[in-house]
Order: sequence, then structure tokens, then C-alpha cells
Amino acid sequence: MSREKDAANYAVVFFAVLSVLLLIFPASKIAHTARIVASYSLYPSLHYGARYGYFVRNVPANFVSLLSTDQENRALREKVKDLEVKLLNASAAVSENERLAQELRLSHTLPWAGSWARVVNKTPSDWYGSFFISKGSDDGIEVNDTVLGMQEGRAGLAGRVFEVYPKFSKVLLITNSAASAVCSIAPSGLEALVEGKGTWLLKVNYVPEQSELAEGAEITTASGGLLFPAGVPVGKVTKVYPRESFMNFITADVTPAVDLNTLKEVFVVRRHLQQENIPAAGAER
Amino acid sequence: MAIILEILLYLASGTFYWWWTQNLAFFGLAPNFIFAAALSAAILAGPVKAVAWGFFLGLYADILGVSAFGGYALTYSLMAYAVYVVKRHFDMDSFFSQLVAALSLSWISMFFYQGLSLVFFRINPTGLKIFLTEPFLNALAVPVVFQVFYWLKRRTGIL
Repeated sequence: MSREKDAANYAVVFFAVLSVLLLIFPASKIAHTARIVASYSLYPSLHYGARYGYFVRNVPANFVSLLSTDQENRALREKVKDLEVKLLNASAAVSENERLAQELRLSHTLPWAGSWARVVNKTPSDWYGSFFISKGSDDGIEVNDTVLGMQEGRAGLAGRVFEVYPKFSKVLLITNSAASAVCSIAPSGLEALVEGKGTWLLKVNYVPEQSELAEGAEITTASGGLLFPAGVPVGKVTKVYPRESFMNFITADVTPAVDLNTLKEVFVVRRHLQQENIPAAGAER
Repeated sequence: MAIILEILLYLASGTFYWWWTQNLAFFGLAPNFIFAAALSAAILAGPVKAVAWGFFLGLYADILGVSAFGGYALTYSLMAYAVYVVKRHFDMDSFFSQLVAALSLSWISMFFYQGLSLVFFRINPTGLKIFLTEPFLNALAVPVVFQVFYWLKRRTGIL
């Protein structure tokens, strides 16, 4: 420890004396030599630094620029995302607007009084059975009101109101296997019962075998039915099944007039059916 | 080998200070990395080497200026000796002690150098702006430079 202290003392005295000599005799030979020797330590920075400085000169500015570019990039990405969402919303709004405008024009041509409602819920487990609409008893919706969908500029039967709550209602779709309607088959006007199958198709039953039921025949609700107003398009015959040997009537598949998968809004026709009249509907459900 | 690495470190310290003052000086202010290197070397090295580092880094600082040649050499040599004395009583490895040492020794060095310049050359080299701000910048720079030197010491055995 003492040796180290001694060495430190000698060193500090040596270098201090050297420094003082440089200070006292700035123009002396020793000071001049020290200057020359010390100047070599400036070589890396002043000579090579100036020569190759362009490699590192702009590092801070580039770093700042990189940071600001990165921030700008992030902000722009956020903006792009935001705009993409807005664009999607706008395009959805435009298509909704077109659809609603078309439906509104169409509703003026309908001979029935009613109101529009949005489809607010469809249950996957009961996809072809029912859905909920956004209006209920507060809006004057009643059980058994007829529900129409709009497609390709024309109305079609979607179903009927099955349950009514103050703010929403449940609609029993015509495709539900529990639903049926008395219909009239064009052009003869033959009346038959159209029933849901629980799929995207309907079936028409109890058509006398001698009738001329052909594929493509239009089916509308008949005046003989009680639940639905007469003249509402129900669908088109797509396939006629041959008569079974043990039966004396034929059946056929019917494609609904409206695609129930794509309905966004429905028109609820006010029926004001008295509850006591419902049993009179007979086979219609 | 170690002496070559030390010379390279010495030159690199000066070059880094030059680069910083060229590119990152803010309102004419920059941390004095020569001072920071001298103080870090004084903390890490043995007494003789510490004083030698102080002297040569001081010469580097002197050659950068036009006033008292030898003034910084004397100042940093004495500072290294003072650190050698102080570090026998205080733990200079800690961040806080380095901060306090950098702050106080910056001012003491400035006063001392100012005195030398006035005595030997009748000049007043240190501006008030530098006097008021540089010690704080040095206090921030010293722990960083110390960590770099410490890492190099562990990796290469220099200092």
C-alpha cells in the first residue's frame, strides 16, 4: 500500500512538474515538442474524421429522421386502418341506403298498412325457423301480423309474428317446418297448402293429381287463408314429384319468393286479427 | 497488447468527444467526454496509470484549445490523484458517488483551470454558460463512460 502510495506521489509530482513546465515555458523547446506529440492524438478525429466524416456526420440527423419517419409511419398506419374501417362502414352504409330506398319505394306500392323493422337476431340452431325483429308491442306489432321480405323489387312472404315483446318480436318463418299457408297456384288459381320443411325450400301438398302443376308456377297466398292477406308472393315451384301409387295427390318443392338468409329488414303488415279467429285458420299455422 | 488498446481507447475517447461536439452540441454545449474519460480512468485504474491518463487526456484537451497549454494536463493529473485519495475512503463504483464526484470535480477543475489561466496568461477562458451547465452534463456522462471503461477493463484487462 505504501509502495503504491509512493508511486502515486512520484507520478503526480512528475506529471505536475511537467505540466507546470509547459505552463511556465510555453515557447520553450519542451513545450513545442509536447505540442507536436500531443497533436498526433488529434489525428484520428481531425484528419481521418474530416476525411471520412461523411460516414458518421449525419448519424444523429439520420437517427432523428428515422425516429420521426417511424412515428409518422405508425401514425399513417393507424390512419390507414381508420380509413379502411370508415370505408367499409361507408360502403355498408351506401348499400344499406340503396336497399332501404328501394324498399321504401316498394312499400308505397304495397296495398297493406304496416311498418318496417330490422332483423336483429337469427339463431344458427334455428336458421330457417325464426328470427327476431326490432319492433314490438310498443310499435303496434301484434301476434300473427304478416311479415314480408323484399327482394329484387318485389315483396314476398317471410312469415308471421309469433311472439311479441314490448321492444322486439319473434317471427315464425314460412320455412319453419311448423309453418304453413293456404296458397293459390298460378295460373289456374288452384288452392293448396304450402308448408315449411325446415330447410331453404318449401313444399306444396295436397295438390290433386289431375291438376296441371308445372315447374316455375308462381304461388301466392290465397284469399281462403286467414293468417295471411291474399296475393302475397310465396315462391315458385321448382320441382314436381310424381304421384305415389298409394296417394291421390302430388307434392312439389317451392323456392321461397324471398331469400330468408339475406333479409336485413322486413315489412310487418298489420292484420289486427282477433285471437278468437285464429282457430278458424284451420290447417294454416 | 494492453498498451496498444489503451492508446486506442485514448484516441477513441478524443475522437468521440470531437464527433459529439461536431454533431450533437446543443446551444454550444456538450458533455466534456475528455473529463469523463479522465475521471472514469482515475476511478478504475491504479494511481500511476490514473495520473498518466489524466495527464495525457489533459494534453489532448490542451491541444484543442489555444490558451494555457499544460493547464488541463496539470488539472486532470491532480484530479486523478485526488480521486485516488478519495476512493480509498469512498465507494466510487456506485452511480450516485460518480454523479456527485463528476459534479463537484467539474467545478473544482474549472476553478483550478481558470486560476491557472489567470495566473500564467492573464486570460479568462471559461464562459459563464459553460460554468453553469457543463458540470451537469458531465455528471450525466461520467456514469455512462465509466460503464464503458469498466466493461472494457473486464473484457480486455486494460486500465
